Amino acid sequence: MKKASNRQKRKAALKVLRAESERAELDLIRRRLALPIEKRLNFLRVRLPGGGSRL
Amino acid sequence: MNAGPLLDSIVAALAEAGLEAILIGNAAAAIHGAPVTTVDFDFMFRTTPVNLAKLKKFAAKMDAVILQPYYPISALYWVMNDGRDLRADFMPVVHGVKSFNSLQSRATRVELGGRQLWVADLADIIASKRAAGRPRDKAVLETLEKTLHEKGKQSAKT
Repeated sequence: MKKASNRQKRKAALKVLRAESERAELDLIRRRLALPIEKRLNFLRVRLPGGGSRL
Repeated sequence: MNAGPLLDSIVAALAEAGLEAILIGNAAAAIHGAPVTTVDFDFMFRTTPVNLAKLKKFAAKMDAVILQPYYPISALYWVMNDGRDLRADFMPVVHGVKSFNSLQSRATRVELGGRQLWVADLADIIASKRAAGRPRDKAVLETLEKTLHEKGKQSAKT
């Protein structure tokens, strides 16, 4: 049996990661859509004095 | 941070000033259920002399100042109050949006703090971000499109 090269292993791992990331994002969207509007308001980031922002 | 209290006071001040404006951008997308965040509230409005007087009234009610950062090139107005972490952008022109009337015709009215807020349709928000084409707009496009798709699936079920 031919051994998978490091490049192939990395490609396969990235494919799985991408699929998992998309599944998690879809799950997050579905959970947010299930919430009433008043529970969807945690979206505001606050600017920080030195630059950047935080939730 | 929970935008609820600040958004309630914005909606109340808009109503008291009698200023008609439509929430657009990431804040509107988040209200539609998209998992996105923002540092400001973007509104589309009509720049009539009456509305500009109402905008001043709105800013006064929010203890905020009005800036025109790109005057005279752009008619963008920033309404800011750093102490309250408020930055509301009011713009008469939005990329990818034909007119205020067309945006309003598809917008929905959302009740917040006992008052109504016009929120742009998610498809219009996506169109405006696609037309703007800035990297930060492109970064959220996929998420917004997935949200629109999921919303469509949900409304088809009901």
